[in-house]
Amino acid sequence: MKKRKRRKVRRMFLKVAMITLIAACFAVLFLMPIVLTVTNSFMASSEISSNYGQVFATTDTGGKTYISEKVNLKFIPDMVSFSQYITVLFKSPEYLFKFWNSVILVVPIVVFQLAVASGAAYGFTRFRGKLKEVIFFVYIILMLMPYQVTLVPNYLVSEWLNILDTKWAIWLPGIFSPFAVFMLTKYMRRIPASVMEAAQIDGAGEWQIFKSICMPLCKGALCSVAILIFIDYWNMVEQPLILLSDPEMHPLSVFLSKINEGEIGLAFAVATIYMVPPILVFLYGEDYLVEGITYQGGIKG
Amino acid sequence: MGFRNRKAGNGIKGNKGSKLNRQVRKGKKISWGYLFPSLAGVLLFFVLPFLVVIYYSLVDNPINREFVFLDNFVRVATNKAFQQAAFNTLKFSVVAVPLAVILSLLLAMMLDYKIPFRSQFRTAFLSPMMVPVASIILIWQVLFHYNGIVNDFIGLFGADKIDWLKSSHAQVVIVILFLWKNLGYNMILFMAALGSIPKDILEVAILESATPFQIFWHIKIRYLSSTILFVTIMSLINSFKVFREIYLLTGNYPYDTIYMMQHFMNNAFAQLDYQKLSAAAIMMSIVMVIIIGILFLTENYFGRDVEG
Amino acid sequence: MKKGMKDKMKREIAFLLAGVMMLGLTACGKGGSGNDSQAQKEFYYLPEYKELQMDVNYISNILPQGDVLFLIGFSWNEETEESTGKMYRYDLISDTCEEMILPLPENASVQNAVIDSEENLLMIVNRYEEIAGDTMTEDEDTEESYENVEYENYVELWQISGQDAAMISRTDIKSVFDDPDNSYVQNMTIDSKDTIYFSDGNSNIYLMDKNGNKLGKIETGTDWIDALFATKEGDVYLKTWGETGQEIKQVRPDSKSIGEAVKSDNIKGTGYNQNYYTGLEKGVLISDSNGVFAYDFENDTREYFFDWLDADLNSDDVEIMGAMSDGRFFVILHEYTEDKTEYSLVLLKKTPASEVPEKEEIVFGAMWLDQDMRKNIIDFNKSSNEYHISVKTYDTDDYNAGLTQFNNDITSGNGPDIIDISNLDYKQYASKGVFEDLNSYMERDNIKKEDYLENVFEAYEVEGRLYAVIPQFYINTTVAKTSKVGDATGWTLSEMLDFVESSEAENVFRYGSRDSIFYYCIYNNIDEFIDWETGECSFNSDDFIRVLTFAAKFPEEPDYNDTGEGISSLLRSDKLLLMQTSLSSVQEYQMYNGLFGEKVSYIGFPNSERKGNLIQPAGGSVALNAKSKHKDGAWEFIKVLISDEYQQSLVKEHGGWGFPIKKSALDKQFEIDMTPDYYEDENGEKVEQPKTSWGYDDFDMDIYAATQEEVDAVKKIIDSAEICAGLVNEELTNIITEETAPFFKGQKTAKETADIIQNRIQIYVKENS
Repeated sequence: MKKRKRRKVRRMFLKVAMITLIAACFAVLFLMPIVLTVTNSFMASSEISSNYGQVFATTDTGGKTYISEKVNLKFIPDMVSFSQYITVLFKSPEYLFKFWNSVILVVPIVVFQLAVASGAAYGFTRFRGKLKEVIFFVYIILMLMPYQVTLVPNYLVSEWLNILDTKWAIWLPGIFSPFAVFMLTKYMRRIPASVMEAAQIDGAGEWQIFKSICMPLCKGALCSVAILIFIDYWNMVEQPLILLSDPEMHPLSVFLSKINEGEIGLAFAVATIYMVPPILVFLYGEDYLVEGITYQGGIKG
Repeated sequence: MGFRNRKAGNGIKGNKGSKLNRQVRKGKKISWGYLFPSLAGVLLFFVLPFLVVIYYSLVDNPINREFVFLDNFVRVATNKAFQQAAFNTLKFSVVAVPLAVILSLLLAMMLDYKIPFRSQFRTAFLSPMMVPVASIILIWQVLFHYNGIVNDFIGLFGADKIDWLKSSHAQVVIVILFLWKNLGYNMILFMAALGSIPKDILEVAILESATPFQIFWHIKIRYLSSTILFVTIMSLINSFKVFREIYLLTGNYPYDTIYMMQHFMNNAFAQLDYQKLSAAAIMMSIVMVIIIGILFLTENYFGRDVEG
Repeated sequence: MKKGMKDKMKREIAFLLAGVMMLGLTACGKGGSGNDSQAQKEFYYLPEYKELQMDVNYISNILPQGDVLFLIGFSWNEETEESTGKMYRYDLISDTCEEMILPLPENASVQNAVIDSEENLLMIVNRYEEIAGDTMTEDEDTEESYENVEYENYVELWQISGQDAAMISRTDIKSVFDDPDNSYVQNMTIDSKDTIYFSDGNSNIYLMDKNGNKLGKIETGTDWIDALFATKEGDVYLKTWGETGQEIKQVRPDSKSIGEAVKSDNIKGTGYNQNYYTGLEKGVLISDSNGVFAYDFENDTREYFFDWLDADLNSDDVEIMGAMSDGRFFVILHEYTEDKTEYSLVLLKKTPASEVPEKEEIVFGAMWLDQDMRKNIIDFNKSSNEYHISVKTYDTDDYNAGLTQFNNDITSGNGPDIIDISNLDYKQYASKGVFEDLNSYMERDNIKKEDYLENVFEAYEVEGRLYAVIPQFYINTTVAKTSKVGDATGWTLSEMLDFVESSEAENVFRYGSRDSIFYYCIYNNIDEFIDWETGECSFNSDDFIRVLTFAAKFPEEPDYNDTGEGISSLLRSDKLLLMQTSLSSVQEYQMYNGLFGEKVSYIGFPNSERKGNLIQPAGGSVALNAKSKHKDGAWEFIKVLISDEYQQSLVKEHGGWGFPIKKSALDKQFEIDMTPDYYEDENGEKVEQPKTSWGYDDFDMDIYAATQEEVDAVKKIIDSAEICAGLVNEELTNIITEETAPFFKGQKTAKETADIIQNRIQIYVKENS
């Protein structure tokens, strides 16, 4: 009996070890790009071009720099160099300027999309009827439309509203995007009707139900949706290219995707800096991201 | 999820007094008020543009604006590039979306075990979401370029170099890219769902000496069904977003096996061919409506199943 | 949730909201700069033309000082064969001009000049003197003794009174320069303390007082100083080119250093080619290819005055300009006509838009504005009482961004009325109905196509609809010895490859590169590889693989460090077989015969139907927007380009830079080309003299009147051209460039490369067929 139990314990241990090992392998693969980006940003440009010369054919090397025969995947630079960062942070203020553009464009979208969407989600959750279901279905279809489809009409509408080439052309469609509505509705509808019903019987108005019952219960969901919206718009490329003709107004994400192959080292440094806000958001909000879902599950169970 | 709560909503109406009824009617109106800002914005920035798209699909071009009815649809549907794009996109979705669901479920179940560093692993799996698109492109090029690391690696085993991005292998590369980006988020959706399965049911099952497979198939999958559908929808959305990476990685006209619907539309846009773009978009929307409709019906069916 | 958490979140959201509002406010405050030239115009600057009453053959310097202009020039006396230096003091307000004789001897020239605060001229004068006392006697052969003469070169600073042109002082300043033998003054200006700043050829800046005493030297650390100018406040700035383009930096005389580049966007105009003039009240007045604005360095503000085109002035002709104290601007125009150069003075007066006669506004759109077209637009605006053309260019830093903007304008119905299609794939736009069919306009105005070169019109026709009109053109072609390639005006790709493969690669094209081979063999006739009807491509064909292998023999970048042997000798000795070039006149045809030393064939680019010569528009090609609301006005302008008057004006005494498309004008040109020029020798006999001379590389030859045979040959070449040039699809060239790179590095075989190109282009073709 005792022996069998020990064997069972050992089997359990082996199993856990195996799973941990597999998970660790996956984790390494998943982390590799982010780690590469960060470590490579500390390489001098000569090291970058010698490592990746075979992939990114830079025409300006002119035989002066050594290009390795094979691509070298290095996680640790031969010599830690801050030259890329010095360029980005001090020598060319355009990067910081574009970074600021990103902030200006994204933050209002996140805040107001959440505000608009939580109202809408509440509207969709309370007193559901056929009409609302149809509208909700339309929202989902619109959410699934690839951006290429609405690009031209969006341009026309912006022009018609006279907001083309202003931040509003990015802000307004972003704020009214159906994505957050869809997500929040999905969460809110999981709140048992009895909770709101009870409040209603107690004589609470809709505003009170929304403010005091619905919103606190959805806090986790709000956070997780905020993170998703933030990540999505932080990486936007197409919208600014079409709707803002002045490159001065473009966010860093557009700029980053245009950095040419001769400046890979710089691209790594800029990308690293650009990753800082998403990482902060994650570190701060990751628990919410998970909690936003588990909390609802808890109520259900 | 879904329509599950309808019963409760109807319940209020049936058995309460007239005061409450008035309150319900008033509440109904107010609830539309909550919906209004979003509705107005969506109408202006999404529905109106979509109507313009429909209009464009019916005229010969945005300048002459002569009605040609279904000519554009015929032209697009018979276009060989469109057919190829539709086929490739469908193939990608059919392969990548189920893979994303299954693999993320597996990851979630792995982390559901009491293994060490759970939260660290979770963070690691979520990390791809933070990487800017441009770095993803750089890294992927380093990996899958003809002279890239993956070829160096398989070279160690004596395999020939593979032109990953410029051959039929390109599909594999973009599926990997898609999975890498999206498994993390799907995984935490599943983790949450797994965590919400009532413990007592599982305990009873173990006491009745059900095999792990039986527990998985008869209990967990049942409880996960609505999450599976939700993850499917999210993966579907994200499978359309991965185009940005494919595009930056391979350009307007990639190797033909990864030429997607969005390439077709993007190029039509660049060439001012809005009627072609619009016709393609509407056909795509119709397919989308059908798929989402099926998913909704399935959810409805399964949702009732779990409750019943 | 716990209450603490809730409060924390509330605080954070409030904080966020406050932040957003602040951002919104700053954003509002910043809007609206830089786009001022596009705004609704309240004022126009109307031109008043003045004559410069001066008796000079050549103007060397024009110096504005407030409302007074100082002009330095020389007049040449035919009889005495002497030149006289003159100075004019032109008072712009009272419109009076005083002529003074400058005490400038014939052996002196003015390098540069400025005016000091006392209105005296400070000129840097180069003067040479024969060194006397050399062993030179009358008996010796004159030619030889001439060679023996040595000159001593002097560089001096002359102070000349602005009142009577009397010399105040004269100082040798050679010692100011680091290298006295290389005393070249590139740019010069003067600050409010009468310190003179000038830069030498090595981009050093020297400081000097007006008595020629050196005050110091500043090393600028740049390669090139484009301009040196003083502001109204008395500060001096330099303009140079840096990594990000134009850079303006302050020159600091006290610390002998150069400041950081001015970061503000306010100093950037919309055009190129900025010129700087000291401001009237503040800062500096900047004139560029588009317009004129003032920039104030202290407050970083700008004030936009006018677009050159709105004042009916051609910025290419502006020599110098400035603001006057009565609010007007003066502009000195310097127009180059065929034989002489002409200066004229224009005064621009600010006039409210309501007082300007109203004209129908027509927009001319182009990727960039062609010089001839700019001139035509200005002439049209000056002569038309009904219409006024304004120009919209899409020349942003990023070509594709400009193109996207253009496409968006077209789709949203805001496209220009007239479109210069020189740099556009016009067939793509034509097939979408963007352009009006011009045939009906031609018929309406009874313009007969048979009066014009019909093959040129046909090159711009798609399915019988005429989409563009070009005023003149030249032929893009390739020339080779007739003895080598036969007497044809075209060849197929395989014929061409058969020919070149039998010879060494370096002998085929001069400065040949892989890219140039692709342009020659593939890009100029890419439709040879694509069947748009069936959607089939043949980039994996043997011909294409042959081109790949052939191109691999060429260097990636052209090698300009060759032996230095002249092109003529290379061609004659068959060290060079083909020469890609253009044919724009009969004279050029004559020159090629001379260059090769034997009969030449215009074989052109490879083409399966052997139509190798391509029509290249010279001076723009215009189309009419089908959505234009001003079609009649736009057509009025387009019509000018093919009008008899304009076409005849393209006929040039010594051969033009392109052929006019009207037959009568072309015939007139040919007639002139065949008419010999004579001079009378000392016996009073007529002797034929060269009409002109033409050169290529190190080769030069005198061109005499053409023979009928030569003219017929040119006619034949013109008639053989049926395709217009310059419609290389960027999408396709990008794919080919990208995919051939590994092949040239030896990493892939030609077959593999061709297969990938075939695969990717096939998608493009499928999509577009």
